[in-house]
Amino acid sequence: MNLRDITAAELTAQVTNDSGLLKPVSESLYDLHEKGRDLNVFISFDKQHLEQETAALAARLARGERPSLAGIPAVLADNICTVFYPTTCASKMLAEYRPPFSARLVESLQQKGALITGKTNMEEFGLGCSGNSSHYGVAKNPWEAERTAGSGAAAAVSTSSALLAFATDTVGELRQSASFCGVLAIRPSYGRISRSGVIDYASSMEQVGVAARTTTDLALALEAAAGPDPRDPTSLKAEAPPYASLLESGEGKLKAAVPESWDRTSGLEDGVKDCFQSELEQIKAMGIEVDFVELKHFREAPLAAAVISAVEAFSNLANMDGVRFGCRGSAASLQEMYTVSRSEAFSSKLKKFIGFGALVSSEKYYRKHFLKSQRMRTRIKDELAACLEEYDLLLTPTTPFAAPLAGGSLDAFHLLDPANFYTAAPALAGLPALTFPVYTDDGLPAGLQLIGETGDETALLRASLRLEKGRSPLKFPEPGSM
Amino acid sequence: MQNMETVVGLEVHVELFTTTKLFCGCSTAFGAEPNSQVCPTCLGLPGGTLPRLNQRAVEYTIEAALALNCRIAEKITFDRKNYFYADLPKGYQISQFFSPMGTGGYVEINLDGKIKKIGIHQIHLEEDTGKLFHAGDDILTSAYSRVDFNRAGVPLIEIVTEPDIRSAEEARLFLQRLRSILRYIDISDCKMEEGSMRCDANVSIRAAEGSALGDKTELKNMNSFRSVYKGIEYEVERQSGVLKEGGKVIPETRHWDESKGITTAMRSKFVSADYRCFPDPNLPPLETPAEWVEKIKEKIPELPSSRSRRFIDDYGLPPYDAEVLTVSRGLADYYESVLRYHRDPKAASNWIMSELLRLLNAAGLEVDECKIQPEALGKLLKMIGDEVISGKIAKTVLEEMFASGEDPEAIVERKGLVQISDESALEEIISRVLENNPKSVEDYNQGKKKAMGFLVGQVMKETGGKANPQKVNELLKEKLDG
Ligand SMILES: [Zn+2]
Repeated sequence: MNLRDITAAELTAQVTNDSGLLKPVSESLYDLHEKGRDLNVFISFDKQHLEQETAALAARLARGERPSLAGIPAVLADNICTVFYPTTCASKMLAEYRPPFSARLVESLQQKGALITGKTNMEEFGLGCSGNSSHYGVAKNPWEAERTAGSGAAAAVSTSSALLAFATDTVGELRQSASFCGVLAIRPSYGRISRSGVIDYASSMEQVGVAARTTTDLALALEAAAGPDPRDPTSLKAEAPPYASLLESGEGKLKAAVPESWDRTSGLEDGVKDCFQSELEQIKAMGIEVDFVELKHFREAPLAAAVISAVEAFSNLANMDGVRFGCRGSAASLQEMYTVSRSEAFSSKLKKFIGFGALVSSEKYYRKHFLKSQRMRTRIKDELAACLEEYDLLLTPTTPFAAPLAGGSLDAFHLLDPANFYTAAPALAGLPALTFPVYTDDGLPAGLQLIGETGDETALLRASLRLEKGRSPLKFPEPGSM
Repeated sequence: MQNMETVVGLEVHVELFTTTKLFCGCSTAFGAEPNSQVCPTCLGLPGGTLPRLNQRAVEYTIEAALALNCRIAEKITFDRKNYFYADLPKGYQISQFFSPMGTGGYVEINLDGKIKKIGIHQIHLEEDTGKLFHAGDDILTSAYSRVDFNRAGVPLIEIVTEPDIRSAEEARLFLQRLRSILRYIDISDCKMEEGSMRCDANVSIRAAEGSALGDKTELKNMNSFRSVYKGIEYEVERQSGVLKEGGKVIPETRHWDESKGITTAMRSKFVSADYRCFPDPNLPPLETPAEWVEKIKEKIPELPSSRSRRFIDDYGLPPYDAEVLTVSRGLADYYESVLRYHRDPKAASNWIMSELLRLLNAAGLEVDECKIQPEALGKLLKMIGDEVISGKIAKTVLEEMFASGEDPEAIVERKGLVQISDESALEEIISRVLENNPKSVEDYNQGKKKAMGFLVGQVMKETGGKANPQKVNELLKEKLDG
């Protein structure tokens, strides 16, 4: 079974029609996994589990059930809890952690017939996407293995190991890695997908997003995952729209804004700059109006996001103390046990990050840094809301650069990771944002980011479909070609 | 050094009567098997920490705040207090640091008939910690410690007074009144011995009223009203001793040792002084609309201070009686019910305070567990008032009623206890007594008035205590003097 040129909707239709196809699907998934082993995409993948899932689905189909995601291979980042796989957050701390429950998202996907094949690699606990803090090593980029993929989730979709990938996006991790790997991804409005059973990292920004290879697949996945959940107090109360059925490209008038300061970042690569400029020309040619607007606070977003996420992560990860689960270092006293357990099990990058969080939330710096960042956040939110009242979309590159080379400077701790330059603002404001794959002249993938009004993922999906229809098919690397 | 003034502020923690914990559905029942009332949320397991706020606990806290005359916050917000300790599963405690539920209230205490207001600085809602059991004396010297998380996440309210308390006695009176109020509104059983009410005291002394406060010490581990009283008394003595010798009071936490009757400086726990408090990003603010607060207010019954005032005004009771009878809502209700059957407020008060409370205390029962219905006590009082039985007989009848719940009329009837007030019947008995005791009659005639008492006693003996003592006195006097 060739999973490379099939959409989720087509696969579901075929499998529902003939459940005998589940066997070749599961075999291809296993083959792809074996071929891609070197890429270090998966943390957990179990052939036996996959066989159990396909057998269970076949039985449901035989009973006449018609689940909407029947047979669609999906992967989850390893901070989304599953009872059937360990959930490690790519940290040594949780290498042995098997949650006694599954995330609400996992329950929904299973109920809708998706095949959850494996758990994917990520930065430790969600710490950015351009480092090497994973206890399991860097996830390599399927386009060029010496580059980082940013996350196993995006890489899995890029290689067809999965048609859908679910992963968290705090400051931009999922969107950035989708951009590095040349796939689509959407981070919905904050609260759209339940965080119940997702390991808390930076609660006020963290949102589960989804990566896929087509807009239609993205819409289908989002529809399956979104919706209110009483178990998540930050979950949006409103029902999620039926994205898949609302999806149409339309030819209507669209007004897009671009922050005029978009190219004022030191990390901007020429390839990405040229690519974005030519994209803007193409977009105008499609009849979409593009204006450059002044967004004074947009550039302040990465710093505010760093401070707020560091404080929240410092607190959220305080339960990792070796008392009830996780790594427990040997020590003579309780205090020493904390120190040893956490020193041994956390990467140096994570330790610096939560150390920074502890510092900026201390009495001495609380007002000066944390409160100031919260006020900055409010200004950014207001500014974006005002802009999106006038415009349908905000357009930016997704990242200032294509996938960085793995190794070397990745180890360093950058508070102001330049990768967050474009993705931090919508994350702080809780707005939906989508990344659409584009390509630099070097043939490497990059991303075009579309930011929309809160609650209106539909507008982003429609614009994405319009972009998708107006160009030649997206490119994907040949699996196992490295 | 003579005009030393004691300045005390109390911090009182009270466990609420909710059936489930503050942020999860686990039971709050006391005394269960260790770690049998836990779940991923109250254990702080990764992926399970999202809190679901217990609405009932919020309403109870608002009710308590209103009963303590506090202003209610317009928005309910929760904050995290971050520190590491083995009984704190998440590494942070969810509390209300920035905006407590209620502020600026007061409680009235009765100081020898004078009303004094003790200011309530704030009241807020928070979660309890687990309980540690050390193999040795404390966490530093034990080979190991065990933790029971059943209590972790149980809702607590913390009530912080202004430093308005001037003596150990005032502290005791305040606690009694506070307990009484919280029991009136039925939100906690406030049992210090079981830990459902806990009290820490900040104690300092100053040279004279209005002068600068000295350094304060914080007293912990006082497990009864008596130990709060004794602890403060001891600490005041100790601090004055230190000052008299020209020393300085060291600001520190001190442990009340009940068996030795002293306070000792506590070994420092591994608790950082900087709790790095910040708003909990998982709990969105909750509005407290006026209608909601009004609805909660309507549930509050007449509270002890105003009820006691009413008892004085309406029933003409002495302040002491009114105070005792309004200590609990059950007792005050009982008293007023009795009055419905026999309206003699002072007699009812006397009988309840001296006889009924004595029987209840001896049996360890609360008034609502008493077998004597208010109607039955009313009947008994009426029988005394109508001189059907004597007070002395009534006491034995009451004891019998208390034991069996039998109707007083039935007891009097069955046992033939009706008082003899019939003069002819009494005259006959008196003549016999005088005949049989010529010595006493002679004594009386020679001016030994004491002989009268002996003769009355003899008459009572002859009648098995049923003679109307007043009548006996009158008739005897007539006979002897006449
Ligand atoms: Zn629980």
